[in-house]
Amino acid sequence: MHTLRRRSPLRRIVLASAATVTGTVLLLSMKPHTTPHIVTAAPAPSASASVPAGSGGSGADRSGGSAATGTKTVTGDSAPTRYGPVQVRITVRKGKLTDVTAVTYPQENPRDQEINGYAVPQLRREALAAQSADIDVVSGATYTSQGYQQSLQSALDSMGG
Amino acid sequence: MSTIAGGRAARRQTMRAIRPRRSPAVPLLVALWAGAAGVIWMWWTNTPSIADNSGRILNAGRITGLLAGYLMALVVLQMARVPALERRVGSDRVARWHAMTGRYTICLVLAHLFLTMWGYALQAGTGLGGIVRQTVDSVQQLPDVGKAAIGTGLLLLIGLISIGPIRRRLSYDLWYHVHLLTYAATYLSFWHQLSTGNEFVAQAWARTAWYVLYGSVTALVIWYRIITPIRLNMRHRLRVEAVVEETPGIVSVLMTGRKLHRMGAAAGQFFRWRFLAPGMRLSSHPYSLSAAPRPNMLRITVKAIGDHSSALRDLRPGTRVWAEGPYGALTADRRSRGKVLLVAGGVGITPMRALFETLPGAAGDLTLLYRANSTQDLALWDELAQIAEERGARLMYAVNSPEGERPDISADTLRRKLPDIDRHDVFMCGPPGFAQQVYEALRGAGVPARRIHHESFEM
Repeated sequence: MHTLRRRSPLRRIVLASAATVTGTVLLLSMKPHTTPHIVTAAPAPSASASVPAGSGGSGADRSGGSAATGTKTVTGDSAPTRYGPVQVRITVRKGKLTDVTAVTYPQENPRDQEINGYAVPQLRREALAAQSADIDVVSGATYTSQGYQQSLQSALDSMGG
Repeated sequence: MSTIAGGRAARRQTMRAIRPRRSPAVPLLVALWAGAAGVIWMWWTNTPSIADNSGRILNAGRITGLLAGYLMALVVLQMARVPALERRVGSDRVARWHAMTGRYTICLVLAHLFLTMWGYALQAGTGLGGIVRQTVDSVQQLPDVGKAAIGTGLLLLIGLISIGPIRRRLSYDLWYHVHLLTYAATYLSFWHQLSTGNEFVAQAWARTAWYVLYGSVTALVIWYRIITPIRLNMRHRLRVEAVVEETPGIVSVLMTGRKLHRMGAAAGQFFRWRFLAPGMRLSSHPYSLSAAPRPNMLRITVKAIGDHSSALRDLRPGTRVWAEGPYGALTADRRSRGKVLLVAGGVGITPMRALFETLPGAAGDLTLLYRANSTQDLALWDELAQIAEERGARLMYAVNSPEGERPDISADTLRRKLPDIDRHDVFMCGPPGFAQQVYEALRGAGVPARRIHHESFEM
């Protein structure tokens, strides 16, 4: 194309945008759509990951629990990490942390699933043992660990407050 | 030329001297697209499936981010002053590629930012409203994203000052120096690609490819923008010899130095000149050589339009000169035929004057058409007339009539003056409106577009 041939810049902008959008949509549509929940190996009996990602990122919400039995369930903030958000739900009975369930954690690709398959149960064990969010980072899963701590802390905070 | 004679033998000799070199633009563009396909492949192999809407949005963010990261490297490469780009493709064309790629890259960066934050917001269960919160969280919590945010800010600033109306209000120096922040922006946004990009965290080969891409671009920038000019100036040590007023408002600067014929400059090319005089050190400006380089003398001819070109008039003999180049592809290499028409508009005469002197050709092969406002504005006319006489070349001029009427440059007049114009190569240099008008007249007169060689620094 000669530099002096008249061209409309608008035409080029429209073409470039249309090509980019079409290309991206096409690429995305060529990937199989599987829900990640099916392929997840449930890490621990009580910490089922098949609960859909639910509550919002702003403010932990106090959900359910009966004062009679003294059992309370609280979902922590969703903590974004480089591989995706991590969110935990805790169960407290008579002031004691009895369970931590990872509601959301990165499991989009096989690598995430592999890492978090061992990291999430270990984080749960640590949390139950420590009775706080003061837990060690699981090696190889630094970001999930940090997200886990954050979400756990926010759940504990809102339980206390 | 040793002999100036007409006839077939001379023409055959001329044709032997012509070896048109093809511009490497097409293979380079093919490589560019292949690289883009490779980048998409990085994403493709690392993404087995997409779960839901947030996954779709996040993956769109990843694709745009990867492409933006790839193009960022190319944007810098395009301005690395690589000889293959500057001298073979042409500095003007590469500058336009750079502007186009830059604009597109900024759009991709914004799309990447928006899509990724939207995807995070969806994952967190909030809609579009959660984008701001996710952006703040990401900057605070994700590795290197803070740096990338600063880099993006710089990129937006650079994009902003390059928008036509804003660009025209700023001084060249300010615009140029802000533009240099592109290096900082590229560096700052590089690290988050490696530390948060799924493709790079999971695939070692992708990381290696990225280091190779950015590493080689850095090496080219250091070599061709820093080391090469230092070596050139150490070797040749240019100084101003004299400043000559050619016509009112047009001055020639004569420069001496050592072994100037070994600078590798050809007629039609330009250097970026930095005169080490008070107030002129900070900026370098491109001016074409207005005569073929001689072993002890280089000459540029400049019209006083801006601050810089007006200040040239006051340069003192002995002032040191820092030159970068030679750049530009409007040289004899472009030529594909025996006969050549040179068209100059105003101060665009400078590269044409150098070509008029040196293009190989027998008597009658060369024609120069010189357009100016009036006969007083025909700078370098005496030299041109002398060259025309020595070489048996034709020299024509077109000026406004005393009433200020523009000369008629149309397909018909061109064909009348040069009946075999469609068998010419045309070299052209002049202001954009003039170049456009002549281009259309030439096309109308039957000159194929691929034989019209033109350099323009208009974006």
